[in-house]
Amino acid sequence: MKLAELLNWSGLDVLDHLEREVTVPVVDGIQAQGDLIVIPLSLLGAVDTWGRDYWLPVPADGVELVRGEGGNNPHTLVADTGTCRWSTNFRDRTGLGVAVFENTEPAYLVHPEHGGSGVAPGSWLVRRQQERGVGLRGNVVVCD
Amino acid sequence: MRRHPRREYRRIDFCQAWPDILQLRAEWLGHGLSTAGADRPAAEEAIARLYALLGQPPPEFVWIASPGAVGTVLEPSTVLLRSDGQWPLESQLASIVSVLRQRFDAYLTHREKAVVGGGVRKALGESVRTAVAQRIQAELTTGHGLYWYGQQDADWVAYYQVFQRISGVPFALADVEQLELWAAIARSCGWWWPREDRCVIAERPLAIKTESVGDQLRLHDDSGPAVVYPDGWSVHCWHGTHVPDWVIANPTVEAIAAETNIEVRRCAIEKLGWPGYIQQAGLRLLGQAPDPGNPGGNLRLYEDRPGENRILLAVNGSVERDGTRRRYGLRVPPWFSDPVDAAGWSYGLTGAQYSRLLRRT
Repeated sequence: MKLAELLNWSGLDVLDHLEREVTVPVVDGIQAQGDLIVIPLSLLGAVDTWGRDYWLPVPADGVELVRGEGGNNPHTLVADTGTCRWSTNFRDRTGLGVAVFENTEPAYLVHPEHGGSGVAPGSWLVRRQQERGVGLRGNVVVCD
Repeated sequence: MRRHPRREYRRIDFCQAWPDILQLRAEWLGHGLSTAGADRPAAEEAIARLYALLGQPPPEFVWIASPGAVGTVLEPSTVLLRSDGQWPLESQLASIVSVLRQRFDAYLTHREKAVVGGGVRKALGESVRTAVAQRIQAELTTGHGLYWYGQQDADWVAYYQVFQRISGVPFALADVEQLELWAAIARSCGWWWPREDRCVIAERPLAIKTESVGDQLRLHDDSGPAVVYPDGWSVHCWHGTHVPDWVIANPTVEAIAAETNIEVRRCAIEKLGWPGYIQQAGLRLLGQAPDPGNPGGNLRLYEDRPGENRILLAVNGSVERDGTRRRYGLRVPPWFSDPVDAAGWSYGLTGAQYSRLLRRT
């Protein structure tokens, strides 16, 4: 799918300088979108998920995995209805996980500054990025 | 048994009233950030009537151009309570406004306080009191006793006005009249320092530069002061953090090295830009490697100060408006010497896991 088609399909928008005729590849493996990273659950031993009932379907207008706060833009997960479900009921020992999702068809992450990322069918963990805080603040989450 | 039995009245539906509440909040945000010249007659009249509530004659009014000039007309404060037990005027004023708010609160349910408290008082408190007034306060080095923020007291004034004007809570008439005095002050002037026989009042700023962060505002200007008063007294802020003027005007590697406040240092480096800082400061390159999944993007790891966090300089996967790709610095723990390990750490991954990254946008 091209970025223009993805935007048309999802109803989302990106900054107008991004090339819209470029194809958004569907990737089966680790990929990063700015301060977010999508990791196959099979790669990680340390993530527990539980509570089958807590899975939520990804609705037609998508899910904001990271809200557009703190002066940054949202990362939105979109997929065809009925092909993707997501949950925040998991334990990620790094504390960086924001959501897990499972998709049976390609799902897409869309961000106004980074464009689109296609995710192949599978089970995935979405993490944020961290850096060392200044002073005594420990590690802090990066906002781009 | 409750100490203040809650008075009953017909309680309104907040959902229906919300547009009116938001409009009132927007009006008060406007007053809190107003850069118009002070309405001196209105401010003086309202303050004189507050003095009258304390049984005092109107004070002599002394206008100053900025809070920074208060030292020219008031001595630094020493004692608040006198040995004879008589409170100074400003303490009495603080007391009556505190009692006023307690009397208003006695009418309100927990739900009302929670809904309007969050939507109006807290929202305005963060955008006006915390984000603006407290940053201005950070520029003041000497205390001159109790004072009020004038226009930046918008948060609590707006909060009680919602109940009085929109909910129609039957507050006592005398309390409503006193609230209107505080509202008149907040609409007409900057900070003020009431004293026994005179009252010092500051003008409002000439400019207040903010940026939006979600629903809130914070002070920011990347080319000059974020707040400027008519006498030139100013406050500099970098994305909401109060900084000395050199951080905005002239962030040099020498000044950054001499700065002891680490938060100020961070702001100055960001203002200078990570690539510029690394180059000008001559940071030692510990290693570099291609960024997996990011063709043309190199990861470079630098030592900032020995034993301190290291700096990973990375390149964005997507282009900026000007066609370039932004370089950004990340602080990583001091034990990393391999840039790929350090990049992996930033996502909670090992270097081996991170090296399998297929695509970065």
